[in-house]
Amino acid sequence: MKLRCALALIFSFAILAPASAADIKALDLGKKAQVWFSEDHTVPIVAFSITLPAGTAYDPSGKAGLAAFTASLLDEGAGAMNSRAFQEALADHAIQLSASAERDDMVISVVTLSENAPLAMKLLQTALTKPRFDAEAVARVRAQIIQSIQQGNTRPATVARREFGKEFFNAHPYSHPSTGDVASISAITVEDLRAFAKSHWVKGNLMVAVAGDITAAETQKLLGDTFQAVPGTIPPPIPAIGRLGTPGVHVLEMPVPQPTIMFGLPGIMRADPDFIPGYVANYIVGGGGFSSRLTDEVRVKRGLTYGISTSLTAFRRASVMAGSVATRADAVRQTIQVVKDTLGEFAKNGATQSELDDAKTYLTGSFPMAFSSNAGIAAQLGAFQRQGLDIGYVARRNALIQAVTLADVKRAAKRVFDPERLTVVVAGTPVDGKPVVQRPKPPVRPENSSPATPGPSVKSAPAETPASKPVVKPAEKPAAPPKP
Amino acid sequence: MTALAAPAASAPTAAPQTFQFSLPNGMQVLVIPDHRAPVVTQMLWFKVGGVDDPPGISGLAHFFEHMMFRGTKEMPGDLFSQTIAKNGGESNAFTTHDYTAFYEQIAADRLKLAMDLEADRMVNLDLSDANVATERNVVLEERRMRVDNNPQALMGEQMQAALHLSHPYGRPVIGWADEVRHLDKVAAEDFYKHHYAPNNATLVVAGDVTPEQIRVMAQAAYGKVPARPLQPRADFSEPPRLTETRMTLVRKDVQVPVFQRIYRVPSYAQASQGQAESFETLAQVMGGDQTAALYRILVEEKKLATDAGASYDGYARDAGEFSVYAVPRAGVPLETLEKAVDQVMQNFARTPAGASDMTRAKTQLVASVTYRRDSQYAMASAYGQALMIGLTADDVEEWPARIRAVNAAGVQAAARRLIRRDAVSVYMKPEGGK
Repeated sequence: MKLRCALALIFSFAILAPASAADIKALDLGKKAQVWFSEDHTVPIVAFSITLPAGTAYDPSGKAGLAAFTASLLDEGAGAMNSRAFQEALADHAIQLSASAERDDMVISVVTLSENAPLAMKLLQTALTKPRFDAEAVARVRAQIIQSIQQGNTRPATVARREFGKEFFNAHPYSHPSTGDVASISAITVEDLRAFAKSHWVKGNLMVAVAGDITAAETQKLLGDTFQAVPGTIPPPIPAIGRLGTPGVHVLEMPVPQPTIMFGLPGIMRADPDFIPGYVANYIVGGGGFSSRLTDEVRVKRGLTYGISTSLTAFRRASVMAGSVATRADAVRQTIQVVKDTLGEFAKNGATQSELDDAKTYLTGSFPMAFSSNAGIAAQLGAFQRQGLDIGYVARRNALIQAVTLADVKRAAKRVFDPERLTVVVAGTPVDGKPVVQRPKPPVRPENSSPATPGPSVKSAPAETPASKPVVKPAEKPAAPPKP
Repeated sequence: MTALAAPAASAPTAAPQTFQFSLPNGMQVLVIPDHRAPVVTQMLWFKVGGVDDPPGISGLAHFFEHMMFRGTKEMPGDLFSQTIAKNGGESNAFTTHDYTAFYEQIAADRLKLAMDLEADRMVNLDLSDANVATERNVVLEERRMRVDNNPQALMGEQMQAALHLSHPYGRPVIGWADEVRHLDKVAAEDFYKHHYAPNNATLVVAGDVTPEQIRVMAQAAYGKVPARPLQPRADFSEPPRLTETRMTLVRKDVQVPVFQRIYRVPSYAQASQGQAESFETLAQVMGGDQTAALYRILVEEKKLATDAGASYDGYARDAGEFSVYAVPRAGVPLETLEKAVDQVMQNFARTPAGASDMTRAKTQLVASVTYRRDSQYAMASAYGQALMIGLTADDVEEWPARIRAVNAAGVQAAARRLIRRDAVSVYMKPEGGK
């Protein structure tokens, strides 16, 4: 029993880990820009996370996938450099530049050896202000995107995710797959790409996070030079959302050995005081990997799946609690029932004190890990910026989680985890009978939205994974499966 | 006990210092200090993996890795993962053909706890029939998710099986489904007894720690676990391949065709001096990214493919692998694509790679080592993986210099070493498609 005694002792101390190891400063790049900066010279690299208002929600009707398509062309030629010349300029200096279109924003990541930071930013500036969209590059990337969509059509996880977006967000621009579909990608012209870049690759409300081997003065100068020539316009806001969710079970038949189930409910907006209690509640029921209630019920007790998890994601105009689980074809109905029962029980009774205590020590104690690398710091700070948080949030964040009470969790759980309203999508062909059909309840009213403050670290993936450069390469040797 | 922690290598300027020592019970320890944040990554590596699965029960090593999370007498049930999580940590594990690794990432002041937990499950695992049956189902679900639902993964599995003839690298680490169903408590217990012991383990700690702290902590936690006689690992031969294997896989669940070829080549553990680094450079210059020859020629110039590339996987105790692949543009037959890939490969065998291409490839490979230093996990993995296949910390630290020393003649020799007899080539096509 020695081990357990030792553990008990450790538990009796609250985790006092600092909110972050990094000292984060704001740099001044004009009124509309937010620049957060963290300096550390241990490893000679610099990481940048740059957010521009060019997410997939701006895709025009009939042109789904335009934002992601345009983002894929960011490194495909600019100024005097055609695609090959641009790629070689990056590769000759081992500069890592990537862009991905999330729902609200385009997120650009630049990781570079510090000696090449000026060149990396010069290349980014050229890419943003003088993109070429040469016919060769556009045709090539279009073919890649189309194949990537076609390949996804055979993957139950992808099919479920795409269909869930449609069922959950209904007619809102959040509803279409980030990558678009074959017809919409085929319909996009070079003029569309050019126009999108012109109106959305802009620095109105620019957000930049920088971490690593660079000084504040150098960063200030570098970013000033880089974004000077980028237009300062702001695109029109993403439209407000109507109803969220289409309660019921929606089956897309596919002959696969293991159907994927996606399920979700309206979440809590970031500015809502219940966001953090909701985040803690989600951790307890489905966000906590090995220690969540859903993992315990579905995986550990019943062996029905390799993994089940849920996430609470607040976009700018809507919030969603979404989960996914994959199980054998003859256990789909059973799995959905276990999920519903687990959520229902949680909504009714909330968490136990020890669940809440454990959630707090995990969520606060793991926070410093997000600050253990330059790339990690830039990514984490960029995520906070996109959620509309202020720079002081980094220091406040753990205290906000510590302050959550059992009553808070119960209230948030009751608000979110209503199994009767669950939108469920099954990609695959269940053979354990028809999944329980239920009489749909009326959809809930949309949440108010406006960005503001409090909330935790973002580790949960958005319901639809961001579209980055499409890849169709063969699977790696199936050798090293992580996750026990 | 090796009393003093000695630097593992006379580190070149850029490389971080590492420290290596062993405990009296035979456990190896390597420490990679990184004081940027008050966190630590502990990785515990065992020299056991899929190659050690007994005949008829492929997947045992991986299944056993799962069982390590199923509780001990003192920490029953899920208490291991829960305790790590309660303390703000993450834990997980992975299995390969050659080794199995368990890791925790946690606040540096909780490292003692993570060590105590790992030391506990190294000897005190409580295997029960009920746990075994449930976890077997979890593994079958994992297999469905990773492999059975994914035609490209199925193709990869078939290619491995064909490439390695009788060597166990041909068996999937996750196991063949029918054999996974035969895993039982007795097999798991035997496996535990024969392979899990401090004298078969290497501890790698990266993060906000000093070698002296780790020496004391590791001795306190792991030092009390006695060494045990181990089951010797079998020496598997690699039967000569007399001819290329060709396969065509036609499936309903395929929408995008692909051509892929894998060559059996020397690994880092087997290669002559500089040879593995030459394969590494060849893979980069031939197909490492968009500036490499395969992409440039097949995708951009000839417009036959939408994607094409090459890679070298040399971190293995036995054979390494070199692979090439290409995805055709709509309407391009795989035969045409394969010929074009062959032409590119023949160019590398006939003509030395161009100077600027060589420089670019080497710059990227060398920079990847600097990028790796940004991550405790990547650093701990790099050293752990090397030690598991019989390399040393020196090998890891000298790798950038060895890459810089690769010349065009070495890359050409590596290209010539890629012979069809040693290869498996696959066409994967949609049913009813071209």
